[in-house]
Amino acid sequence: MSTHNAQATKSKKSVPLDSKYALLGAILIAPTVLVFATVIVYPLVSAIYLSVFSIYTPTMEGEFAGFDNFSRLLASGEFWRSLWNNLVWTTGTLILQMTFGILVALMLHRNILFRSLARSLVLFPYFLSTVVAVLVWRWLFNDLYGVLNHVLMWARIIDMPVDWLGSMPNAMISLIFVGAWKYFPFVVIAVLARLQSIPRELYEAARIDGAGRFAQFRDVTLPQLRDVLIVIVLLRTIWDFKEFDLIYLLTGGGPVISTQTLPLMVYKEAFALNQMGAASAVAVLMMLIMLIFMTVYLRRTRD
Amino acid sequence: MNRHLAETKKCSEPECITRREVLRASAALGTAIAAAGVPEARAATTIRWWSTQSSPEQLAAYRYQIQTFEAAHPGVTVKFERTSDEGYAAQLAAAFAGGKVPNLVTHLPSFAVADYWNAGLLLPFDDVISSVGADKFLDGANRIYEMSPGAHAAAGIGHTAANMLWLRTDLMEKGGIERAPETWDELRAACRKMQGRGIYGAPLPYAKNSMTTLVIIGFIHQAGGQILSPDLDVAIDSDEAENALEFYRSMRELSPPGATSYSWGESLTAFVSGATATGLYAGRVLINVNLQNPRIADRITCTTYPTISRDVKPWTFNDYPSIFIPAAAENPEITKKFAAWLYRDEGYIRQVNATPGHVLPVLKTALADERYRDNEIVRRYPDEIERMSVAAAAGHNLGWETAGHKTNVRAGAIVNSGVLAEMVQRVVLNDENIRTVLADTAGRIEEIMKGRR
Repeated sequence: MSTHNAQATKSKKSVPLDSKYALLGAILIAPTVLVFATVIVYPLVSAIYLSVFSIYTPTMEGEFAGFDNFSRLLASGEFWRSLWNNLVWTTGTLILQMTFGILVALMLHRNILFRSLARSLVLFPYFLSTVVAVLVWRWLFNDLYGVLNHVLMWARIIDMPVDWLGSMPNAMISLIFVGAWKYFPFVVIAVLARLQSIPRELYEAARIDGAGRFAQFRDVTLPQLRDVLIVIVLLRTIWDFKEFDLIYLLTGGGPVISTQTLPLMVYKEAFALNQMGAASAVAVLMMLIMLIFMTVYLRRTRD
Repeated sequence: MNRHLAETKKCSEPECITRREVLRASAALGTAIAAAGVPEARAATTIRWWSTQSSPEQLAAYRYQIQTFEAAHPGVTVKFERTSDEGYAAQLAAAFAGGKVPNLVTHLPSFAVADYWNAGLLLPFDDVISSVGADKFLDGANRIYEMSPGAHAAAGIGHTAANMLWLRTDLMEKGGIERAPETWDELRAACRKMQGRGIYGAPLPYAKNSMTTLVIIGFIHQAGGQILSPDLDVAIDSDEAENALEFYRSMRELSPPGATSYSWGESLTAFVSGATATGLYAGRVLINVNLQNPRIADRITCTTYPTISRDVKPWTFNDYPSIFIPAAAENPEITKKFAAWLYRDEGYIRQVNATPGHVLPVLKTALADERYRDNEIVRRYPDEIERMSVAAAAGHNLGWETAGHKTNVRAGAIVNSGVLAEMVQRVVLNDENIRTVLADTAGRIEEIMKGRR
């Protein structure tokens, strides 16, 4: 009995095994939490904090402004125009990316000549630096020396060079097209990977049931691609919505603010107008818009 | 469990190194390396130099100045970093905000300097001016940088006549144009006569950038108007500004279609390549034509940009290329020495002669120096360089619109906001009512002047 009591006292004094494991778990997860807090929580809280101040960017000094930045933004036509441009750009380029991406993936899934080479080459725009890609496209679009105008004039489709980047709606159309060209390979990679894992038996069964090529695509391929397409749309929407470099380098948001999206507005407020508080307010509103979109999208595609 | 015991047993042997020991040793080694590296890093002094002017010829001249300075100051390294006319504002704002400022910044327009000085971001430059010799500078060269009596925020590293009218004499001859246009009507008529066979009249910018902003400021003054009154009240909503915008809109048909995206580079290239009959630029045209299109080298000339009528005097945009030191820069003393070094005769002459006529000298000693005149371009275009020098000396900009104006420390903010370029685009590209646009623009400038935007 006394031995039993001694053992019980000893076990009370020592740390239980569960607690040890809990402590070990906390220690092991600590670096992840720390990194998460540093790279996600801190910038997020910082942006929200800055958005309620009026701050001069070079000195990062300013005063508390409450919700002035938000109320001024929501009352300004520029914010709503930029949001509209953002939606037009994101929707337009996403539709083109998905269309090109699926078509090219279907083509590359077939047993065509030089398939490996074609699969490698199709990724080229995605790997190319945005700055280089934009420089190349700016030259193609150039009014005096650009190949595009030259070919169109040679083919007698146009009499005078077209201003592709400096007038509307050409600027937005050019932007959407270049965006689609740059990012459609991502869709190709993802769709092609999924296409290769669709069981052949499904197509055989469809053929036995008398399905033609289009019916096979509609009733077998598309349903099988559904999950991957949901993820692609989700990711590309996020990335396209916050696209900055391609738009900034290609049109700078012009003419006037016809192609200015919210990320460009953030940049303009922060570094052209030196209003870091207002820039943060735009960024916070962008985040809220994305959050609402994502919530609705994920709920609708849950099943 | 057995594996753990096996490992414990194995590592209890004397020659065995445990994981903990390896970690300790690594940490100790890392600390030792870091500790050893710190004094070495601190021993070397690096001066970071930013400039918006960085053509290959200019870089070669800078290299000479850097090498001679480094040779005279062992342990000091000068690192040149490019910025651009369109990009410096954002880059400097980020640098100031992050506390990672360059030691020395050159060739930024004077109105940018005033803005930074006003925010307490610059070091007084008087020591450098004294070191160079205040009497060596051209009279009034540094007046624009004198923020309060005796306190200079910067100094001029050169003069630039940014909006000269460049002309192709051969095309003028073909078009039967006997002399350089002096008024807008003459300019438009000349451009119409010279336009054709793939050549456009003028590469005027209609883009949303600083060039469009600076050019339209010039046009408003050439119409007899102003952006702000001498007391810095907004004065852009005027008949003169309306006339300027009307004329600017009428010139659209004489500019290349892509002029809606033109900045300094594209506008320069359009004239140099022969795609336009006239140009609007500073002296860089001379060296670029000689290097890139020598076929027209003897067929170009320049004059001040025409005005609305002969009653209105020409107005030249001189951005007063500056040199200044950010207050947060490390090693300010050696940086000041380097700043003064950039004015030393041989190096300074090489610097201004890298693009003759573009950045014109502000030192009397350089102007009098035979080495300055002993340059192929300077010898070949003496009249053009003289015209640019005279125009630049009488030049102004948004920071100091006329001799009667107060210094406008918000000029940089107005330029960077793009409000004037947007005004041009709204009138020319969107065909909006000029008076409405001018009223909106006046309101926006008012907000900027009050520091609200």
